[in-house]
Amino acid sequence: MLRNSLLVAGVIAATTTIASAHDEEALMNAPAGDPYVKVSDVLPLPEFIPGLGTLFVDPATLPAGPFLAYDHDGLLSATIYMTPLEELQNGVSYDGLDIGSHTVSSTDIYFNAGHPGVEKPHAHVVLFHDEKAKERLAK
Amino acid sequence: MNCTRRDAMRLGGGVIATLAGSLSARAQAITEIEMRGTPRGERIWFDPLGLAVVPGTTIRFTNRDPGNSHTATAYHPAIYGRKRRIPLAARPWDSDFLLPDERFEVTLTAPGVYDYYCLPHEMAAMVGRIVVGTPAGAGWEGRSKDTSDVSDQVLAILPPAERIIAAGTVSWEGRS
Repeated sequence: MLRNSLLVAGVIAATTTIASAHDEEALMNAPAGDPYVKVSDVLPLPEFIPGLGTLFVDPATLPAGPFLAYDHDGLLSATIYMTPLEELQNGVSYDGLDIGSHTVSSTDIYFNAGHPGVEKPHAHVVLFHDEKAKERLAK
Repeated sequence: MNCTRRDAMRLGGGVIATLAGSLSARAQAITEIEMRGTPRGERIWFDPLGLAVVPGTTIRFTNRDPGNSHTATAYHPAIYGRKRRIPLAARPWDSDFLLPDERFEVTLTAPGVYDYYCLPHEMAAMVGRIVVGTPAGAGWEGRSKDTSDVSDQVLAILPPAERIIAAGTVSWEGRS
């Protein structure tokens, strides 16, 4: 009985690991599949935003995201969160947010005055997934 | 009356835009107001912030911000139910969202003070003021006295009409 339980637990753990790795891999190249949508398809924003790239987001996660940022070749280059300052000041926290890739080479955090989709002044938290990512997203 | 024209080059605008444009194209020089922003969007603004023109001038709003979209939208009850901040005789306008390098034109003929804003960036005080003519002109209507429909931040950034008339233009950097 104990042996069977361990076996089942082992299978579940292995399956979870495989599924997780599979999901992350599936997001590595644009277009990110359902439930993600291309931001420029649903909001009046450029398809490629200098500094952020081509963004995909699950609308249910707005405003925080994650926004998945792809370079001109469709490679996932950054995961971005957008957190309204007013909400943070009012005690809202954004916990346990998903991430496009578990490999993060550096992080930038800066103020943004607003744009369609996240009109309130907010912070951009940008996790770059490789050392050349920022350069590829620049323009 | 104001005539408006949204640039057809990228929008595939078509017949209505072309007809509206022809009404103003023969008139007078076009004066440009640019929509600008810092590369990371920390700050966005209309350049110039304040502009004085003669009646009948066509204003061209052009989005020069490569990472953002903007609107030029008149404060008026007919557009999003806002309190009127343009002359009563003027027709309100809304450029709709302009992507980078897109533009929109409006011809202003009614003398007075026109306040307008960027729809997604009003919270960041992206607003502007155009003064058409001078108080000495017939039909002049001065600035709106309303303070209930806009934020203190917006009211603080709009230059006085007298200053705009005296200087011709007031930039965002030189607003205070």
